Amino acid sequence: MSRNKKQKPSPAAPRVVPGGIDSAALAEAALGASRFKDAIEHFKGLLKRERRPAWLQGLATAYAGRAEQLAAKDMIREALALWRTRSEACGVPLLGAPYVAWLLKDGQLEQALGLLAAAERLPPAAQAEAYNQLAAAVLVAPEALLSGLSSDSPMLRQRAAARAALAACVRGDEAALAEALQAISFHSPYRDLRPLLKALVLQASDPQAAAAALARVPDKGPFEALAQALRVSLMPGREWLAALRQLDAAGRALVLDLKGCPPSQRALVLDLMSRLESSAPATELFELVLRQHRVIGEGAARQLCLRLLPHVPQRLDAFRASFVPLTAAEQARVLALAAELKRQPGQAETHWLRLVQLLRATPDTKPRAALVLRRLADQHAHHRPDGELCTHAQNWLGQSLELDPADRATHLRLIRDARKSGDLKQARARLEAAHKLFPDDAPLLLEAVEIALAAGAFKKAAGLAKHVLALDPIDPRVRTTVVQAHLAHARKQLVAKNLPAARRELDEAENWLRSGSERGLLKLLQGLAAASADAGDALLREALVELGGPCVGVFHLLLEGERAKLVPEDLLRRAGADLSTTPSAAEVLALAHALDKLPERDPALHAALNPLRDRLERAAGMLHLSEGEHLQVCEALHRHRESELTRQFAVAALARWPKRLVFVYLEAAARFGAQPWLMPEREWKRLDDLLDQARDAGDHRTAARLGQLLDASDGGPFDEDMSDDDGDEDEEADFGPDDLRAMLDMMLNVGGEDSLIEMARKQLGKAAVEQMRREVGGSKKKLAEALLKMLMMPTELGPRPPKPVVVGPRKPPARTPMPRAQNQPNLFED
Amino acid sequence: MTDPMTDPYRQLGVPETADDETIRAAYLAAIRACPPERDRQRFEQVRAAFEAIATEPLRVAHALFDTSAPTAHDVLDVLSAGWQPARPTEAALYRLLGAADAQR
Repeated sequence: MSRNKKQKPSPAAPRVVPGGIDSAALAEAALGASRFKDAIEHFKGLLKRERRPAWLQGLATAYAGRAEQLAAKDMIREALALWRTRSEACGVPLLGAPYVAWLLKDGQLEQALGLLAAAERLPPAAQAEAYNQLAAAVLVAPEALLSGLSSDSPMLRQRAAARAALAACVRGDEAALAEALQAISFHSPYRDLRPLLKALVLQASDPQAAAAALARVPDKGPFEALAQALRVSLMPGREWLAALRQLDAAGRALVLDLKGCPPSQRALVLDLMSRLESSAPATELFELVLRQHRVIGEGAARQLCLRLLPHVPQRLDAFRASFVPLTAAEQARVLALAAELKRQPGQAETHWLRLVQLLRATPDTKPRAALVLRRLADQHAHHRPDGELCTHAQNWLGQSLELDPADRATHLRLIRDARKSGDLKQARARLEAAHKLFPDDAPLLLEAVEIALAAGAFKKAAGLAKHVLALDPIDPRVRTTVVQAHLAHARKQLVAKNLPAARRELDEAENWLRSGSERGLLKLLQGLAAASADAGDALLREALVELGGPCVGVFHLLLEGERAKLVPEDLLRRAGADLSTTPSAAEVLALAHALDKLPERDPALHAALNPLRDRLERAAGMLHLSEGEHLQVCEALHRHRESELTRQFAVAALARWPKRLVFVYLEAAARFGAQPWLMPEREWKRLDDLLDQARDAGDHRTAARLGQLLDASDGGPFDEDMSDDDGDEDEEADFGPDDLRAMLDMMLNVGGEDSLIEMARKQLGKAAVEQMRREVGGSKKKLAEALLKMLMMPTELGPRPPKPVVVGPRKPPARTPMPRAQNQPNLFED
Repeated sequence: MTDPMTDPYRQLGVPETADDETIRAAYLAAIRACPPERDRQRFEQVRAAFEAIATEPLRVAHALFDTSAPTAHDVLDVLSAGWQPARPTEAALYRLLGAADAQR
C-alpha cells in the first residue's frame, strides 16, 4: 500500500474512542443522521463501560430506528427480531407502536393476540394505548383465539359493532352502517373505523367529503393499512397509479377493487406500475402491449402499438401478425416517421411522398396530403437562410395549393418567396390566383403593395396601400408602406430631375407620416427637391438634427445623395456637416439602428459610409459602449458586410469581454467571411474548440454560426444571409466529368498520389484499393493512374462516381447538426 | 413523475373526435383544477396538450406527424378508462387489516 493511501474505517465497525464523551458524541451524531447501525455499536460500547440511562435510551431509539428501516424494506421478520432484542437489551416493553402491525403483516395473529395478557397488567394509560395497537388484530381474529379475554374487556365490548359496520359497508347498506358506527364510542379502540368507513363509502361518489373524513384519522393508528389504501385511492387524476407502489399486496388489491379494475387486468396493471418511474424503452412497451393485446382490448392495443411503431419499425411484421394489418398510408407514415427519428431525411422524404400519393387519391384526404407537402417544404426551408424556398419546396407548396387551395398562408408564402427572390412575374401570377380566392384580404393586398414597390411602380403601390388601409385602418404597417411608396416615388423623380413631381410625392407622404425619424428623412428629401437652394440648404441642416445627429444624419444625406446621383462633397457643404469630430456612443447606436432598417445588398450604403469610416474606426477604439450596445453595432455592421468596421468593434468588445463567443465569431467572420479558404489551420482549430464551448454553454446560435464559418473554410457555403443556389442536389447535378477531372488533377497537385489513394480508400473501401495495388504491381503511381481511370469511367456503366473530397492538410472533426438558435436571438429580430 | 402521459386527448380527457369547443372547454376545466401555482407540472402538461390539438389543422398535423412514444402511463390510462368504481369484498378488507384467509 502506498504511504499516502489511508485505510478507510469499516462502516460496520465504528471506532470507539477511549474517552466516553467523544464516543457519546459520535453515538448521538450517528443517531441524528439516522445511521442506526453505527449508533447501536457506539451505544453498546458505551454501555459496556457504564449503564447510563441516557445511553440505554439512545440504544433503544437506535434499535427502533433500525427496525423501522428493515420493515420499510419489507424485511418484517428481521424487524421483529430486532424489536425483541431491543426489549431484552434495553428493558423496554415489547408492546410498542409498530410491533403489533408487523406481527399482523407477517401473519402472526396469534402472537399479536398473545400480547393482550401483558396489556391487561399495564397501568390504565399504557393499557389504552396497547388496546389501540391490538384493535385490528382483535377485530379480524377468529372467535376461538379470543376465548381467554374477559367478557367485559373493552376489546370485546364493541367488536361486534365494528364487524357489523365492516359488513354493512361492503354490502352498501348505509342505514346498517350508520347504526353500527353509532354503537362505537369515542373511547373505543375501534373508533378510527368511523371516519375510515365513511371515507370508504364516499370515496367514489364524493371524494372531497371522503378526504375530509380521512383527514380526521390520526397517523399510525390501528387501521393504518386501510387509511393508507384510502389515501392512495383518493389521489387526484392518475397519481394513484404511481402511488400504488407504496402499498403492500393487500393494499393494492383493495385500491384496485375500489377503482373497479377487473381481475383479468391486475397483473398487467401491476407490471405497468413497476415501469412508471424508469421510462420504459419503446421496444419493451411494444412487446408488453403486443403480448397483452387481448387484455387491453384489440382496438386500443393497436392504437398504442401504431404510435410505438415509428420507434420500433423492425417490429412491423409482429404488428401485422397480431393486429388488423396496416393500410398502405399507415405504413408509409410509420416508415417516414421512423426514418426521421433515425435522422435519415432522404428516406423520410421518399416515404412522405409515397404517403402524399396515397392521400391525394381520395378527395377527403387531399387536405392531409397538402399538409404533408407543406411540412416537407418547411423542413427544406429550415436549412436555408431566411427560410428561403428551394425549387423542391416551391414545387411542393405549389402542389399543396392544388390539393388545398384554401390555405391562404401558403399562397402568401409563395408570393413572398417569389417577390424576395426577384421573380416578380411569378409573384404577380401567384398573387392573381390568390386574389381570386381572397378578394379583399388585407395581407394579400399588402403583398400587392410590396410587389409594386419592388417593381418600382410606386404610384400603384401607394394606391394599393390606401385600399389596404380602407380594409384594415389600424394596421400600422400599411401607413408605413404608404409613406415608403411615396418616398420611393419621390426618389425616382429626384433621379429624373423632375423636382416638382418629387415635391408633390413628398407632400403626399407628409400626410401619412407618424414617426420622427421618417419626418427627418422627409425633410432631407424635401431639401434635395427644394425649389430654391437657400430653402433646400436650411431643410438639409434641420434634417441632419432631426435624424439623430451629425453621424447618422450625414449617413442618410449621403445615402439619399448616392441614390439621387448627387455629388457628396456638395451635399456635405450645403448641409454644413462637420466630419472632424469622433461620433458619440449615442450617434453610433443611432447609426446602427439606421443600418438595421435598411435592406441588405444596397450598393448605395457602402458609398454613404465611406466618408464616415475613419471616424467610426476611431470611435470603435475610444467609445465605452455596454456589451449589448457593442453587440448591436457589430451585428448591424456584420449584416451589411462592413467587415473592417465589424472587426474593429468586435476587437474592442473582445478586449473587454474576451470570453463572449459571439464577439469571437463576429471578429472571425469579419476576417474570413469573404475568403474563408484563407483561414489558417491554427485559427480553424481555435474556432472549432470555441464552437464546442458555445454548444456546451447552450449558445446554439453562436455555435451554429461558427459551424457555418468553419464549414465554409472547408469548402462549404458560408452563407448566413444569402444564397442563390438550389441546394446540394442541384450542385451535384452541375458537377460534370470535366469538373471531376479538374478536381482530381487538383487533388494530385495538392496532395500527391497519397491524397488520391486515401480518398479512394474512403470511397471504395480498403480491400478494393489493396486489390488494385496488387494488380498494378504495388506501384503507387500506377495505382493512382488506375484509380483516376476508374473514377473517370462513363456514368452509363454504373452510378456516377461520388464527388471527390479533397484530402487537404486539415481534417475537421465531424460536427453534429446545430439546432436553430434559441437562447441568443438577433437583437434586431422582431 | 418521470414518465407522463403523451396522448393530448387523454391528458384533456376528450375523445379523438372532439371539436374545438369541446377541447377548449376541457382545457379550461383542467387548468381550473390545476392552476400553475398549485401544480406547475400538470398545468404545463395540460397546456401542451391543448396547444397540440386545439384546432382542426393542429389535430390533423398531430395525427400525421406526432412521434411521441406512448408511456406506461398511457397504457394504464387506456386500461383504467373502462373501469367503474366498486366496493371491496369483505375478504379483501379483512386481509388488509391483518387476517389470513383461514382465520376469518
